[in-house]
Amino acid sequence: MEEVKNNSGQNLGIAALITAVITFVLAVIPCVGLIAIIPGIIAIILAGVGLSHAARNNSPRGVLIAGLIIAVIASMISFSQIFVVGKIAQKADKWPSGLNNIINDVQDKVTKDLDDANVSIKIESNGDKVEIQTNSNKKENEQTLEDLEGGNKVKADSVNKKNETVPKKNETVPKKK
Amino acid sequence: MRLFQRKNDLSQTSEVRFLNEPYLIINIIFAGVILLIFLYSGFFSPDKDSYPVICIHEKITGEPCVSCGLSHSFSLIVRGRIEEAYKWNTYGMRIFLFFALQLVMRVAFSYFYLKYPDTRKQLIIADCFGSGIIFFISFWPFMVSIFRSTFYV
Repeated sequence: MEEVKNNSGQNLGIAALITAVITFVLAVIPCVGLIAIIPGIIAIILAGVGLSHAARNNSPRGVLIAGLIIAVIASMISFSQIFVVGKIAQKADKWPSGLNNIINDVQDKVTKDLDDANVSIKIESNGDKVEIQTNSNKKENEQTLEDLEGGNKVKADSVNKKNETVPKKNETVPKKK
Repeated sequence: MRLFQRKNDLSQTSEVRFLNEPYLIINIIFAGVILLIFLYSGFFSPDKDSYPVICIHEKITGEPCVSCGLSHSFSLIVRGRIEEAYKWNTYGMRIFLFFALQLVMRVAFSYFYLKYPDTRKQLIIADCFGSGIIFFISFWPFMVSIFRSTFYV
């Protein structure tokens, strides 16, 4: 009965070692290196379970430790391939890097800000001063255009409320007596 | 009757002995895996190009990696078309020879392990070192490629 218990740990060790060696061979082949992480994890689990069995039954651990070490190294090689693929993809401009994302974000923000920008130009020459003020507020401009065209009444009202002091073109301003 | 019983006992003891030898089990399984690789190479035709393994590097970058064309190369070597195999992958022959040598080594070392029980420890150490050196020689270009890609790209 005791022998059976010892064998179970030993069998796990053999399985772990075989899986680990296969993982190692796969890990160093660039084409399939990434896939090797799956048998690598399996080998580590097998070796771990085998080691716990061996610790309980005081059975030899040589094969288990060998399997665990090879599995860990092979998994590390396999895992490193993720970085290799990432770097190659970055080089090939097919994987947007963090820097590219930041540039895109900044571009979007600048374009949005420009849509609502206020621009003022001041020119001074020989004591003469000319000041031009304009805003490129898209929404406001669109609304004003609609007002001028007399399209939407509700919107026109809201514009009037906003610019109560500014008289409209057609409106007559009451004269002060 | 006695002869039959003795024969039966012998087979049982050899079976138990065999199961208690992890080295032999490992050798048999490795030999089986290598045979499966050769069968895979023989089964898939290089002319039809229907290999199930896809290169992730090639998929992402559009450029072939160092190990691309290895299955093709193996299939061509199995069929005796060595020159074509070199064209598909320069290192294909090297890797194929590694597997072929390992197959021979598994059989040979298992035989010596059973025939000379006194030298088992030395035999396992020699096997580990020998296989390790052959592995590094065969897979060196791939390892260099991975190393370069990781640190210099």
